[in-house]
Amino acid sequence: MAKISSRQLYFLLACIMPVGKLILMPTHLVYEAKNDLLIPAAVNILIQAGMIFLVMLLSRSNKQLYDMLEYTFGRVVAKVLTLLFSLFLFFAALFPLLEQKQLVQSVFYDTLPSLLVFSPFFIFSIYICATPISSFGRVWDLLAPISIVGFIGIMAFSIGSADFGALLPFGAAGTRAIVSAGAYTMSWFFDSALLLSLVGKFEYKKNMAWKSSLFYLLGGFAILLFLAVFYGIFEGLALRQSFAFSKMSKYFSAITALGRIDYIFIYALSLVMAYFCTLPLHAGVDCLNRALGGNKVATPLYSAGINLVMLFLMFLLDNNFQGANNLITKTLFWLFPLFCVLIPALCLLLRRSPREKRKVS
Amino acid sequence: MKLTGTLEKDLKTLKNILPAEDILTFSFQSKNGIAFTVVYADPISDKELLGEQVIRPLLRYDGKATAEDIGKSITSAELRKNGDIDKLAEEILGGNPVVLFDGMDEAIITGVKKVFVRAIAEPSTDVAVKGPREGFIEDIKINTSLVRRRLKTPDLRFHMMTVGRRSTTSVAVCWLEGTTPKKTVEEVKKKLQEIDIDIIPDSSYLTHFLSSRPYSLLKQVGTTEKPDIFCAKIAEGRVGIIVDGTPIALTVPYLIVEDFQSSEDYFVPAYRATFTRILRLLALLVAIYLPAFYVAAQLFKLQLFPVKLLLTIAGSIRDIPFSPSLEMLLVLFVLEVLNEASIRMPKYVGMALSVVGALVLGETAVSAGFVSTPAIIIIAFSGIGLYAVPNLIEITSVLRLAMLLIAGSVGTYGIILATAFILFYMVTSDNFDTPVLAPFSPLVKRDLRDSIVKYNLGSLDMRPRTLKSKNKRRYKNG
Repeated sequence: MAKISSRQLYFLLACIMPVGKLILMPTHLVYEAKNDLLIPAAVNILIQAGMIFLVMLLSRSNKQLYDMLEYTFGRVVAKVLTLLFSLFLFFAALFPLLEQKQLVQSVFYDTLPSLLVFSPFFIFSIYICATPISSFGRVWDLLAPISIVGFIGIMAFSIGSADFGALLPFGAAGTRAIVSAGAYTMSWFFDSALLLSLVGKFEYKKNMAWKSSLFYLLGGFAILLFLAVFYGIFEGLALRQSFAFSKMSKYFSAITALGRIDYIFIYALSLVMAYFCTLPLHAGVDCLNRALGGNKVATPLYSAGINLVMLFLMFLLDNNFQGANNLITKTLFWLFPLFCVLIPALCLLLRRSPREKRKVS
Repeated sequence: MKLTGTLEKDLKTLKNILPAEDILTFSFQSKNGIAFTVVYADPISDKELLGEQVIRPLLRYDGKATAEDIGKSITSAELRKNGDIDKLAEEILGGNPVVLFDGMDEAIITGVKKVFVRAIAEPSTDVAVKGPREGFIEDIKINTSLVRRRLKTPDLRFHMMTVGRRSTTSVAVCWLEGTTPKKTVEEVKKKLQEIDIDIIPDSSYLTHFLSSRPYSLLKQVGTTEKPDIFCAKIAEGRVGIIVDGTPIALTVPYLIVEDFQSSEDYFVPAYRATFTRILRLLALLVAIYLPAFYVAAQLFKLQLFPVKLLLTIAGSIRDIPFSPSLEMLLVLFVLEVLNEASIRMPKYVGMALSVVGALVLGETAVSAGFVSTPAIIIIAFSGIGLYAVPNLIEITSVLRLAMLLIAGSVGTYGIILATAFILFYMVTSDNFDTPVLAPFSPLVKRDLRDSIVKYNLGSLDMRPRTLKSKNKRRYKNG
């Protein structure tokens, strides 16, 4: 199968990456920044857009991250760094999975235990993580319109109930609250790290760097709109409205007569979310595979192993979601700027072509 | 094995290869004393033509004893010469009588086979209110002529080959030179040549060998019974395959969107065609997902129903002794059995079967409290919906059942995961280097003009990019 096309990459940045930020991030932002939730979100989006620009500059060589690391530092260091990067990606995948599990419990079922109903996800994920990333590009072609329809549907149903005056006055929460909101929601912004794992798997084209940032900003704008509508509807109660996107549209007047037709859009976004959750896992499995020898036959084994570990973690954290939430978003949040800002920036210093061997005279 | 030129010896060898009792011989001498023997397969050779066009002229023959001169005296339009006994035996079995004569190491093959054909009629599987009504029949020659009649261009090429060790079924590979990518043509020929099977009773046997994933749930080869559709597909840059003995022609590469299109779409206004295509897609989605969501909603998420509908459903299912999924499976099972039986039963019994199905099984089961009315309505609607896209019925009926089972066990999230899984499986399915989900995945913007939406003819001036035709322009847009 061919490489990921530029169009498919833009779809990922504009339509698929934002979907992962609609589940629990809004309530986390409100918890810290209250009505100023748009400011920390916008700052994180802008930082990530900048990092995406840098990563795209790095991708001009059309070489994969591991190859560039190997050219610069040699095989051993490249393996260690790639292994560390894959561990980070698995760590980054953990919270979206926990979120998704909670969402499944809340949106899809009234009574069943969430671990039981969420477990089949890992069967899907094992299959997905064992296939080459290039197959994903085609899926993004399909997911982009589904994501757009789902988002527009929910927005159309809920925007009428929103009072945007609730967002005023800007800056009332104070700088400290805004900064902590920005820091504690960094765990949702690992997009540049995901893109870094994709470097070399798409063909770099002219102007792709700024176009990618622009498409990311477009998706970011959708997130900001969503956050504004979310706070506009729930205002002071927003803090308690977890899984916001499944609740915002239920106040639409037609729902009384027609039933929860907004579920069509919620399901559409959930479908995209299921794919989104597999992205860091897939990227992690790919990095792990490169770090441990790049054996194609071993990929399904790594995929099965990692997904089973994730399932086990879900089981461990089943009754301690709050603890996991605090650990990832508040204690270890610094890992995200390290791997998603600092490392991509440092990667620009990597050599993109092999150093010529010194001729021995 | 070659002919020796000694009539008796060659005849003996031929009879050893063809010992069957319906292989007959007729020996005679010409006016100048040349000994001839005609060997033919009795049931499939036209004896009247054989006598008229072959034997009578040879009885009067008074020229030289060369295959060329003798051939000139025979009045049959189709004449060939061959000296290979195995090839001659093959021709005799194909219905073409062979004339052997003394002193020559070549025999004359005459094309006077008896042709049993039914009249060209409208295919029952692809009825069109507007547009051509002709359908392919079982004879390959007539089918190729139906294609040739529509595409009167020297670029139309037929490559004839035989497939099947025992059936030696004639297969015609058909393409438009300069339009169809050569790679696809060669790949089709190669795949067909590599087939090693005893008989090919129908074109569906070939689909297995033409598919890159033969065990895939997805269809990978297009089928049609209509020459107009066949020609349109070839003109877009596909390769067509016509198989002797079957009215169903094959086309590759196959795109799933083809099955949402009907020939009639091209003879009605574009907005109407778009509307019916969207309707087909929605009908198919409803057919697959409605029973599953109904069961999942009942079992796991009652909020999906509006309150009034929920009360109605609650009233209907109150006394049903089965779980929602088991109830739905039972109704689905009955529908599938009725469907299967009604297809194979004689028409007069079929009528009675409908009455039994609708009245006895339907109404009585509801009044007896075995199944609820909503379950019957949903399965009936789903059953009708499947037939909106009849060419995909094999896959969609399986998917409907799978979704129902998943909904009954894992609920709505299971349906979403299964959908994600199927989508991923579909996007990774390629055949002849062409993705089956194109032009949606990968997205080919220009090809969307004739997909689920249909643009006016004026906008369809280019051939589908997905098919990688060298000759990209269909017509000049003036």
